[in-house]
Amino acid sequence: MKTVDLAIVGAGPAGMVAASEARGHGLSVAVLDEQEAPGGQIYRAVEAVAAQAPERLALLGEDYAHGRRLAENFRVSGAEHIDRALVWQLEPNGLWYLRDEVCHELKANRILLASGAIERPVPIPGWTRPGVMTAGGVQILLKSSGVVPDGRVVLAGNGPLLYLLAAQLLAAGCRIGALVETVPYARYLEAVPHLPAALGSGYLSKGVRLLRHLRSSGTRIYRNARDLRVEGEQHAEALCFHAGGHEVRLDSDLIVLHEGVIPNQQLTRALGCVHRWDDGQKCFRPETDEWGNTSVEDVLTVGDGAGIGGALAAEHAGRLAALEVARSLGYLQTRERDRLSTSSRRQLNKLLQGRRFLEVLYAPPEERQSPPDETLVCRCEEVTAGQVRTAVRTGCTGPNQVKAFTRCGMGPCQGRMCGNTVSAIVAETQGITMEECGYYRIRPPIKPIPLAALAAAEVDCELDDVAQ
Amino acid sequence: MRSQKNYDAIVVGGGLVGSAIAYGLSRQNLSVALLDEGDLAFRASRGNFGLVWVQSKGDGMPQYAQWTRRSADLWPEFAEELNGVLGLDIGYRKPGGLAFCMSDQEFEDKQTMLERMRQTVPGGYDFQMIGRNRLKEMLPEIGGKVVGASYCPHDGHVNPLYLLRALHKAIQGQVDYSPNTTINRIERHENIFTAETVEGPVRAPKLVLAAGLGNRELAPQVGLQVPVSPLRGQILITERLKHFLDMPTIYVRQVEEGGVMMGDSHEDVGFDTSTTVDISRSIAQRAISYFPKLADANLVRTWGALRVMTPDGHPIYDQSDSHPGAYVATCHSGVTLAAVHARDLATAIARDSLPDEVGKFTAERFNV
Repeated sequence: MKTVDLAIVGAGPAGMVAASEARGHGLSVAVLDEQEAPGGQIYRAVEAVAAQAPERLALLGEDYAHGRRLAENFRVSGAEHIDRALVWQLEPNGLWYLRDEVCHELKANRILLASGAIERPVPIPGWTRPGVMTAGGVQILLKSSGVVPDGRVVLAGNGPLLYLLAAQLLAAGCRIGALVETVPYARYLEAVPHLPAALGSGYLSKGVRLLRHLRSSGTRIYRNARDLRVEGEQHAEALCFHAGGHEVRLDSDLIVLHEGVIPNQQLTRALGCVHRWDDGQKCFRPETDEWGNTSVEDVLTVGDGAGIGGALAAEHAGRLAALEVARSLGYLQTRERDRLSTSSRRQLNKLLQGRRFLEVLYAPPEERQSPPDETLVCRCEEVTAGQVRTAVRTGCTGPNQVKAFTRCGMGPCQGRMCGNTVSAIVAETQGITMEECGYYRIRPPIKPIPLAALAAAEVDCELDDVAQ
Repeated sequence: MRSQKNYDAIVVGGGLVGSAIAYGLSRQNLSVALLDEGDLAFRASRGNFGLVWVQSKGDGMPQYAQWTRRSADLWPEFAEELNGVLGLDIGYRKPGGLAFCMSDQEFEDKQTMLERMRQTVPGGYDFQMIGRNRLKEMLPEIGGKVVGASYCPHDGHVNPLYLLRALHKAIQGQVDYSPNTTINRIERHENIFTAETVEGPVRAPKLVLAAGLGNRELAPQVGLQVPVSPLRGQILITERLKHFLDMPTIYVRQVEEGGVMMGDSHEDVGFDTSTTVDISRSIAQRAISYFPKLADANLVRTWGALRVMTPDGHPIYDQSDSHPGAYVATCHSGVTLAAVHARDLATAIARDSLPDEVGKFTAERFNV
C-alpha cells in the first residue's frame, strides 16, 4: 500500500484545482472520484462532450464549457487520477475505496474532502413516485448521454439550477409545460439589501438572462406556489399546488423538483468533523478555518461540500487548501503561502458575498422544514413525517434515537435523503434549534459495497481472532 | 417532562436494563422516575445484535446459566405483552439457535462443554449436537467448511430496537421519563435518595442504578462498587435479502426485514465506537464461510457499540449495605435478560430485596 502527501476525494472544480496546485509545489497527489472522467457533477463528462458532441457543449452553455480547461490542467498536473473509485471508509490518515469490485487502501499525510453538494430533498406528498425526478438527475442524463425528457414536463421549486436546467432543456428542443416557483413573495423584499453585492458577482445578470429566455419561450410561470403535492396512483400524474389564490392542477408526465443544493456531509460526518448549522444556507456544514482545515487533524474540506459557494468559488477554495497543505507539509513557507493566496482569497470573498442574495431569495420555503404527516421522509425505509413526530413525542430526543425507533435513515442511502428533514422535524417538535438537535451518526460504508470485496480486502495486520 | 419530584423509585439509565426494570416497577404500582441520557449517549441498547441467547452462557457459573434460562422461559409471554403495547410485532421468535463448528475438534469441545453444563445447571440444560448432514437439511445454504453445530431450543431473537421502543411506549404515562438528564450527585438523608440533576433534585426511597458504563462512577456514591469497562463489538448488516435463515446463529442472523446481521468482535479499545476494516473484514469472512451466498450481498452499514463488561463477563446485581434501598443492575445481555429484569428482578426490588437466584452476582466476588 502506498502513501501520498495528499489524497483528494472528488474531482470536481475544487478537487481538480487543488490537485493541480499541490502538484505545482511538488506534492504527491491522488484524486479519487466515482466518475469515469474528471469534472464532478457540474462539469460531468465535459471532456467527452467537447471531443465527441460539440453541439451538446453549445447547448449546455459557456459555464459548462469552462470545465474543460480545469480538466486539461488536471490531466497534465501529474496527479494520479483514481477514477471509478468509491470511497467507503475514512480514517484520519487513510481511506478505503472500492474499484472494479476490489477494496484498496490508500494512506495519505493529508486528506482533502471535495465531495461537493447534493440536491436538497424536496419532501412533498408523493415526491417518491416514479415520474418525479430532481433537476440534478435530469441534468446528469443530459450531460452524460444527451437524453432529453419528452411529454409534459413541469419544473417546480427554486434556485439557479432550476432555471439553468429550464434553459438547457429548451435549447435541447424540450417543451416545458410550466415552471412553478416556490419562492414566497416576502423573500424578494428580504433579498433586496443583498442586491448590491450580487450585482458585482455576475450571478444576477446570468439569472436575468435565463428568466428572460424562459419567458420569451412562452413557458407558463407560476409564482409564490405553496402546498405542493404530487398526485397519481402508481406513477406521478399531476402536480397540485396553491398559487395566486387558486388551486392549480397540472397534468404532467415528468415532474422535476429542485430547491437548491446542500453540502454532502457524509464523509465529513463519518470522520467525526464538527458541523454547524448555517442558518443563512439552511444546511449543516463542517466547521473549517479560512484554509479549509476541519476539526479533525490533517483533514481539510473545501468546495460546496464545505458550504455552498458554487463552482467558481470552489476553484479558489481548492487552490487555498492546496497551498495550506503544501505549507503544513513543508513544501512552502508560510509567507509564500500567504503571498500566493492573495488573488484567490479576494475573488473567493467576492463570489461568496454575491451569493448572499441567492441564499436569501432561494431559501427553502418554511413548509419544507415541516412536511405534512403523510409525506414520506425516508424513501429507503418508507418512514413518514408523522411517524417521526410520533417517535419524538414518545421521548426521542434526537435523530439517532428516531433512527433506532423508526428505521428512518437505516437504508442504503445512509440517511442522505432524509437527514435534514428528520433533524428539522425533531427540532420543530421539541422546540430546539437545528444545532442543538444535531444529525445522524454516519457509519461506513459511505455507500454499499459487496461483502465479498470487504472479505477480500488486504489489511496490514492479520487479525483472525475476532471470536476472542 | 417531570410532573413531580418525589417518587417511590428512581431508575438511572433508559437503556434496555433500566427501561425493563422501570417497566417492572411500575407494574408493581410504584411511582418511578426514569433518568436517561441524550441522543449521543453510548447506548449499548441501540447497537446490539438482538439475540435472546441461552446456549453456552454461564459455563462455570451455573446461577448465570439458570438466570438466563429463566429469562428465556419468560420471554414468549413478555413479548406477547409488548407486541400489544406497541401495536407492532417486536419480532421475537424462538425457533432455537445454532452455533456452528468449523472443525471436528471444535465440535467435540462444544459437546463436552454443553454436557458439563447439562450436569451442573440447576433445572437442566437442553441441547443437541447436529452433524453436517442434518445441518445441510436444515439449512441448504450452509457452507462446505461447517462441520456441524450445537442447537439449543431455548434460544431466540428479537428486534432489539423495537424492544427498547416498546418498553419506552409501555412506560408512557406510568413512569416519568426524563431524557438529557445528567446526574451531578446522589445523596441519602433520612432514608430518601436525592439525585441532583440540572433540572433540580429528584427524590425517592429506592434507587436503581442501571446506567451501563455510567454505573462505574455513580455506584461509589451509594457505597457500591461496579468494576465495568467497555468492550467493543462491531456489527455489519447487509441490504435486504430474500429470507433464507429463520434461525438465529451466534454470529449471523437474518432480521425480520431481510437484512443479515453479522457480529461480533470483542475488542478492548476504551470508549471508541468506530469501526475498523481489519475487524469488519474478519466478520465478513466468517459470515461468508457459514453462508457462501452472502458474498454477493451488499453491505449497507457497520457500527461499533460498547458492551458493559465485568471482569468475569457475568452480570452484577447488588444492593448497598451502607445505603439501604440502593441497587445496581449491570450486564451485557440486556436483550436476553429483559424479561427476567421486568419480572423477577423488578418484583423483588419492589419488595425491598434482590431475588435469591442472583445472590452470587454481587460485586464482592471480585474482591478476592
